[in-house]
Amino acid sequence: MNRSRPLWIALLLMWSLLPMLWQLITSFTSGDALVNSDIPFQQRWTLAHYRELLSGDPPFWRYLLNSCLVGAVSTLLTLLLAVPSAYGIARMSQASRRSIRTVVGAAALFPYVLLFLALLELAREFQLGNNLLAIALPYAGLALPLALLLLISAFEGLPNELDDAARLEGLGLLDRLRWVLMPLIAPATASTGILVFLFAWNEYPIALTWLSRDDLLTLPVAMARIAGSSIYAVPYGAYAAATVLGSLPLLALVLLCQRQIVAGLTNGAVKG
Amino acid sequence: MNWLLALPALLLMALVFGWPLLRYGWLSMHASSVLTGLEPVPNQGANWIRLLEDPRFWQDAVQTLRFGAVSVGLEIVLALAMALLLDQRWRGRGVVRALSLLPWALPTTMMALGWRWIFNTPYGPLEQFAQAAGVAPLNLLSNPDWTWFATVMADVWKTTPFITLLLLAGLQTIPDDLYSAFRLEGGKTRQAITAITLPLLTPYILISILFRTAQAAGVFDLIQVLTGGGPAGSTESIAQYAYLNAMRFLDFGYSATVMLAGFLLLSLVIFTAALLLQSSGLFRPLKS
Amino acid sequence: MPVMRRLLLMLMGLLLAGSIGWSSVHRPEQVTILMPAPFVDATAAQVKRFNSDHSGRILLKVIRGPRDTESISDLAISSLLLGTPPFDALLVDVTWLPKYVAADWLQPLDPWFDSDAIDSLVSGAQLGNSVDGALYRWPFGADVGLLYWRTDLMPAPPQTPEELIQIAQDLRTDGKVKEGFVWQGRQYEGLSCNFVEFLSAFGGAWLDPETGQPTFDSQAARLTADWMQQLITQGTSPLAVSNYAEPETLQAFKIGDAALMRNWPYAWAELQSDSSAVKGRVGVTTMVAQPGESPSATLGSWGFSLLRGSQHQQATAEAIRALTSTEAQRDRFLMQGYTPTQASLFHDPELLDASPVLPQLEKALSIAEPRPITPLYAQMSDLLQRQLSGLLTGNRDPDQALDQLQGATLTLLRSAGGVS
Repeated sequence: MNRSRPLWIALLLMWSLLPMLWQLITSFTSGDALVNSDIPFQQRWTLAHYRELLSGDPPFWRYLLNSCLVGAVSTLLTLLLAVPSAYGIARMSQASRRSIRTVVGAAALFPYVLLFLALLELAREFQLGNNLLAIALPYAGLALPLALLLLISAFEGLPNELDDAARLEGLGLLDRLRWVLMPLIAPATASTGILVFLFAWNEYPIALTWLSRDDLLTLPVAMARIAGSSIYAVPYGAYAAATVLGSLPLLALVLLCQRQIVAGLTNGAVKG
Repeated sequence: MNWLLALPALLLMALVFGWPLLRYGWLSMHASSVLTGLEPVPNQGANWIRLLEDPRFWQDAVQTLRFGAVSVGLEIVLALAMALLLDQRWRGRGVVRALSLLPWALPTTMMALGWRWIFNTPYGPLEQFAQAAGVAPLNLLSNPDWTWFATVMADVWKTTPFITLLLLAGLQTIPDDLYSAFRLEGGKTRQAITAITLPLLTPYILISILFRTAQAAGVFDLIQVLTGGGPAGSTESIAQYAYLNAMRFLDFGYSATVMLAGFLLLSLVIFTAALLLQSSGLFRPLKS
Repeated sequence: MPVMRRLLLMLMGLLLAGSIGWSSVHRPEQVTILMPAPFVDATAAQVKRFNSDHSGRILLKVIRGPRDTESISDLAISSLLLGTPPFDALLVDVTWLPKYVAADWLQPLDPWFDSDAIDSLVSGAQLGNSVDGALYRWPFGADVGLLYWRTDLMPAPPQTPEELIQIAQDLRTDGKVKEGFVWQGRQYEGLSCNFVEFLSAFGGAWLDPETGQPTFDSQAARLTADWMQQLITQGTSPLAVSNYAEPETLQAFKIGDAALMRNWPYAWAELQSDSSAVKGRVGVTTMVAQPGESPSATLGSWGFSLLRGSQHQQATAEAIRALTSTEAQRDRFLMQGYTPTQASLFHDPELLDASPVLPQLEKALSIAEPRPITPLYAQMSDLLQRQLSGLLTGNRDPDQALDQLQGATLTLLRSAGGVS
């Protein structure tokens, strides 16, 4: 095992990174070179795909911005709802906690794509379509089960005496949450937030049905629509460039917050 | 007071998860399509009869199950290997861990486009490779017998890191003392995996299976972008069929029926699986 | 807790950046039209001219939709379902029209386009614009399926299905060309378009014109299915065509890899460009047909439809008229090769001078064959594509495939919408 370990590590890295590397290479390869392997090495490279994306109408960074906005609002809303809720649930009786856990767990398992039709109807009914702030509502709703599971576990992990002591000091509920409990569950909140953000950033079916204005699309939907403007060529160069640009923020997030993500998933999800 | 705090979140969840199910139940008993001017008209269960007689729905159900079973199976095996590798101590482990997590973080639609290019005939790298090896053309995306496996590969690539994470967490709960004791008694490292690691990891594996099966049952983005359900409908999932019915055919009554039926089928599968696991004694309640 | 605070700050920053980049400018009497990306480029000059002609009164804005027909259909439908579509008119594919009308999304165009205007259209362009006697669509360009052939490889194009296979096979055996016949075999709408032409070649029709019932149990359907399968099994067409859409087909023909190609008129201009390896060696004709059967050319074409809820109907109609004026059509034909719809333009000396294939286009338009005109078309076509795709890629038994197709189409017609 020890002697072959470098081999396994190399295999693991190849498996994980090669497809992405291929996208990176493709994004710098000219459209002609993609379909013609006879073009000499020096003439295969181009920045045209990136230029096309960034000078598009709307330019690609608009989609990045939209996704950031949606991700940020959804994360804030989810946490705003989930933290007090998890606190309340964590202090309930054993029986209530268990039944709520079961329901929330079932919701976390639900393949949410099946909800798109009813959610589309809601969007139409309440005029929520084509609104980047409004789409945070279904996103928060869909992310809540996971967020609750993680945060309930976090609150349950805190000693009850702490809360009681704070109450004896005369601190109100909000103050206790803000000054005593929040700091203690900050790591769990952070990792929950990251997971919710990732969910909102990657979500496709709801965005596909709730957003139709081209300047309001989020990345996953925009990706499928970029498709290059030329009807004559294989559009994979533009796709690849879009993948690279769209992935960079996520790669940064994951590489920076890897520890929080791991901690978050391991704390709560498994206990649930 | 506790309930008051809990309520807003629970209400939003009820709205997002509960209301659609009720609505689908109601819609599935109505015709609501281009033939009714998109207005719901009661139709005495005709949607359900149509569903029972619709070979395509059942074909999609089988395909969805096949996709889920094979990808989750592969993912568990691969993730176990990856987790064991990443749990050992070696230089640079942190970096490799972070890098191997990356596929999971990328939006599915993005990498689905990437895979479409990688599997492309004749310009994709795999096809070029096959050409060099003299076995081209592979026609990876136009083979009704095998294209579903291409979608499985793309799914395995993306979600294995997630399971790896869960299993890594499980591995970290196993105290090192257990292993040293085992070695003291003369056990080999390899035997330790079956004697200690796997049994103690079982709950984590089960939860991964449960979670991933449910997710795989709702597979949509990946297939929509990678194959669009083709060739010959061989990769179409239930969610996609429901989407087609609603957004392309404007048949909302039937779309709701398909979704509700898909949900019921999935619940059935998960419930049976849970029962089987429980009776097999593998499942032990976890300490919370 | 630092981690927490940093994340919160990050989120706030993102929020702020988002709302700043998101402000919009308000403009009076703005008309917005949704088009697939290629048409946006094709109309750019005319849109500019329209805006300078109407400056201060109407501002025409074009939304650049996706290129792919299915994606733009998804986009249009989700906009319409959401209730307040962000456009006044859109380009509608000929097959969507009955569905959109049934969904009550469109406003009739009769007040702005009278019967004289309709009569001035070339015959093929007159089809597929009306539902139940009301005009709901004004054609953007005429579009029908064509057979492209290589003038340097054969003295004359094939006339019958057998001849097509024969010529292609001979050329392949002689090593003169890599592939014989390329067409659109991917599981998507293009496959249905190809099928309609192939089916006519053997004297069949998708729906029986008398009864409106599917006819996949006919001899013609059987011969067509056999022939399509043969194309691939005998190597006349590469197996890869079963994953080809228009771009891949054109690519293969353009680099000189194929002797024959089924495609739309737009391909002509590209084949005559400098990057084309077959420039000046391409002829255009209509699809083959059995002796005694008349060939057909599947009617494609996009057209402008006005949305029922539009607040700017008059202005939108003016914009549609400008974008489809004789002048605009002439420009688009000369610049981008889009086929005109005005009958008079097919005899315009300047146009004839620019393109020797115009008479062929007119001929093809005269045999234009619409796909079934029903709100259920999308489902019907989807059923067809699935079975055909199975036939092409999986070597399925044609009898069985057609049998299932017939049954499924019948079930659909009976139970779609679930009205009992």
